[in-house]
Amino acid sequence: MAELPQKEQLALHEFSVRYRAALAKQHQTPEQSLDTVKDAVREQYEQEQDAKRSPSVEPPTKEKEREPEEPEP
Amino acid sequence: MDDLIKLVRTYRLTAGLAERIRLAEEIFRRIEPDLRVFVFSSVSHDAAKDALQEVLKAVAISLKQFKGDTVKEFWAWCYRIARNKLSDHFRQQYADRMQTMPPEELWQMMETTAQNAPMSPAVRHDLDYAIKLLTAAKPDCSDLLWRHYVIGLDYAEIAEERNLSYDNARMKIGRCLDEAKSLVS
Repeated sequence: MAELPQKEQLALHEFSVRYRAALAKQHQTPEQSLDTVKDAVREQYEQEQDAKRSPSVEPPTKEKEREPEEPEP
Repeated sequence: MDDLIKLVRTYRLTAGLAERIRLAEEIFRRIEPDLRVFVFSSVSHDAAKDALQEVLKAVAISLKQFKGDTVKEFWAWCYRIARNKLSDHFRQQYADRMQTMPPEELWQMMETTAQNAPMSPAVRHDLDYAIKLLTAAKPDCSDLLWRHYVIGLDYAEIAEERNLSYDNARMKIGRCLDEAKSLVS
């Protein structure tokens, strides 16, 4: 915050506090907001799981090609 | 370290869904009120409810990608996402908000708080003065004052938002306040 003369500082601070309180009162929707957040987290998680399940197919590297085969029992 | 950043860091490292949801709930209980003020101060109130949900969703989806280490960086990151979301999807409503709410509507909002926090004559006088300061200036100045003194964005955040240097943002806000004071007095 800027260094304001006391009068403006007090007035704008009081207004800001009450504006926040008024919004909180008008829109008491934390549950709706939290549901939105939970859905987004689930969506993100599922995308990660999908990406893990279907990794992009890469051609085998030369090192892998050179790996000796397991001896047969 | 701030608790909020601890939660965000833990969230980034958490693999299990149930634990992520628990942490996300804790994080968003803390940040939702400030994001709500930001959104309701940035778009018209008609659109703000939907806009808030879009912003919360965008922040939640990107939470694992946050790279910073401080609470200040985290808030700057949240506001950046919010701004991008609002300017992409709520451009018209953003333009509407630039026309400051009329004093009568602001007073109506103030009156709703009187039940929990009674208004003495001195408080009414302060609120009247604040509303005059916020509504007297030209729209651009009024918006700057609003973002700094009501939402609580600091100079650096406003500088980023307006593509200004830190000092330019600071001086512009100072000039806007002087302008508002001269118009009110």
